[in-house]
Amino acid sequence: MVSVLLVVLGFFAGLLGALTGIGGGILLSPILALHFGIPIRQAIGTSLVAVITTSAASSSVHLQRHTTDIRLGMTLELATAFGAAVTAYLVGYFNRSALEGLFAAFLLYSSFTILWRGGKVKPEEALAAEANGKQNGGQFAIPAYEPQRYPLGLSMSLVAGALSGLLGIGGGPIKVPLMYIFMKVPLMVATATSNFMIGVTAAASAMVYYRRGDILVEIAAPLAVGVFLGSLLGARLAPRIHNRHLAYLLVAIMLYLAASLLIHLFRGGWA
Amino acid sequence: MSQLREPAFDRVVALVLRIGAFSCFFVMLAGLIARLFTKGHIPVEIERAGVLLMLATPVVRVIVACYLFFHENDRKYGFISLGVLVILMLGAVFGIGEH
Repeated sequence: MVSVLLVVLGFFAGLLGALTGIGGGILLSPILALHFGIPIRQAIGTSLVAVITTSAASSSVHLQRHTTDIRLGMTLELATAFGAAVTAYLVGYFNRSALEGLFAAFLLYSSFTILWRGGKVKPEEALAAEANGKQNGGQFAIPAYEPQRYPLGLSMSLVAGALSGLLGIGGGPIKVPLMYIFMKVPLMVATATSNFMIGVTAAASAMVYYRRGDILVEIAAPLAVGVFLGSLLGARLAPRIHNRHLAYLLVAIMLYLAASLLIHLFRGGWA
Repeated sequence: MSQLREPAFDRVVALVLRIGAFSCFFVMLAGLIARLFTKGHIPVEIERAGVLLMLATPVVRVIVACYLFFHENDRKYGFISLGVLVILMLGAVFGIGEH
């Protein structure tokens, strides 16, 4: 039964996503497109539902630790939501090959960034802060800060949102360094705030996809159920597992998916 | 400004997200279970309700934050939240008839 398979797929994507800190959503659309015969645009729209589910579940945890800067997140959401809604609308006019090519390029980019950092997907400061927080009974000491360079932050958020609406991804790999390096926000806050923003960003584009009929409800439901369970378990296991092999497993899957997309693209398999 | 944290504010927003995620999960699960027993439209409509609930959760989160900002007389961020809400609504309207 296909539904069972989708629940299992969602479960592992959610688990891997929560364990490595990289949203499992990036795996879902290409797998749906390659192995379930779903056109890439519908695959992207459908996995957006899973992306919102993950964001809601995980950012509620971050909020309770008081590491999310709601004001900063809300401000940048002006740009991410706008960018996401615009590209989600434009995707209706994109041809399939262009989307597949873009997706393959993004998968390659993400794989190389993980490899470049030597498989460390969670920055060391975040790990140290997590350990520190556990000692202080869940309270996290966050140094005082004031976000800098809002104009730059807003314009790069626009790009992150645009990419999210185009590919159905969260855009964390852009927003976290943006807030941390350029806006001078502590890394823990940047990570939590990026996670917080994903829900609204994905919702802005998901509504456009839904209206266009690009969210397949029968596929989205089992997928989201699996992702929800997988990320809950992953969030529990994450503090205990610091396994670099998991990051390499993720890279291997991403490279495989990128190669499959490119092979299909050049064979003109779906055109 | 941004470095100030209000624990109560965080807790309310977290609650909204948690209620959204859990209720959506159970509605979708109900849809999946319904598929085992009935055929036709009912399971799909239950699942559709779950998907719509998930799309609505971030919107509700923005509305709640907007209310809380105005409630604390933080007008600047109240209006920013309102702006995000308007963009979300525009996104929902724009796609109409694009099948």
